[in-house]
Amino acid sequence: MTRYWAEEDEGEEDDDGAGTMVRPYTITRGRTAPERDDLTLITVLTTTHQELDEYGRPFRPGGRGLQPEHRVILERCRRPAAVAEVAADLDLPVSVTKILLGDLVAQGLLLARAPLSVARAAGGADLGLLTAVREGLRRL
Amino acid sequence: MTTSHSTGGQPAPAAVKILIAGGFGVGKTTLVGAVSEVAPLRTEEYLTRASVGVDDLAGIDQKDTTTVALDFGRITVSPELVVYLFGTPGQERFWFMWNDLVNGALGGVVIADTRRLESSFASIDFFESRDIPFVVAINCFHGLNTRSPAEIRAALDLDPQVPMLVGDVRERLFGRDVLLALVDHLMSLPMPSPAPVG
Repeated sequence: MTRYWAEEDEGEEDDDGAGTMVRPYTITRGRTAPERDDLTLITVLTTTHQELDEYGRPFRPGGRGLQPEHRVILERCRRPAAVAEVAADLDLPVSVTKILLGDLVAQGLLLARAPLSVARAAGGADLGLLTAVREGLRRL
Repeated sequence: MTTSHSTGGQPAPAAVKILIAGGFGVGKTTLVGAVSEVAPLRTEEYLTRASVGVDDLAGIDQKDTTTVALDFGRITVSPELVVYLFGTPGQERFWFMWNDLVNGALGGVVIADTRRLESSFASIDFFESRDIPFVVAINCFHGLNTRSPAEIRAALDLDPQVPMLVGDVRERLFGRDVLLALVDHLMSLPMPSPAPVG
């Protein structure tokens, strides 16, 4: 569900704050919340070779148009990159970046890989993962 | 989970993250930079009224936006696994807005400076209250360490099983040892029931 500032602000105006908001969210055409909420800071994105839509069908170029930022992202993610890395490279706030990434995932142009589940509340990291991390750190 | 998985594209590595916390100016980004394979990257996030309940905004300026910078680095453990290190925003009172940052973290490192240990109390409380395993790195890059480890431990009110290391966060090997201590600590904890990976 796309949300707009007008709904959030409920009529309150803050000109100073609004001034800082306008430019980044212009890139997202006014959207301030991603259409998907499963992109985390370390979700890893990779540009697909085959352009598929979210149902796995070939992407139709007649779909929603891409903006320059979208194309920069697709170029960047030829090497897998986390959401935070893409945001840093584009010099855009994380929330704005997530909206753009969500567009590309929805169009099948990017694949998103969720982080490994390691939170203790969710069962914690398994020993194999920890061993792999340990081995990697020892090489530092 | 509706995230797409690989359907024939270049396989993406799996990612985990470790949080680097501590008071302002205590050396978080320095430690990230010492062990990261890339110079620390910086990104920003807006803290907005939209991102939290209005009740949670006590003490924060009634502005629509505040930005919080986030420094991070990466260690490629293998072609299949990348560890991201995130320095947390210095003001822990903002952390409640950063659920994305703390959710799913492997564990944390709290850096403390012996000259002002109290600036790292909030980070310790935060990890303890969220049940995020952590280790403590005492940064003494001035070579001044007038307190014994036992005194520091007592001053921080650390649980006996929480590892504490003393060293210079500018040194790669100390950073490595701190992260290894965290992994060893994680391995020593009682194993929760296995969770599906991925």
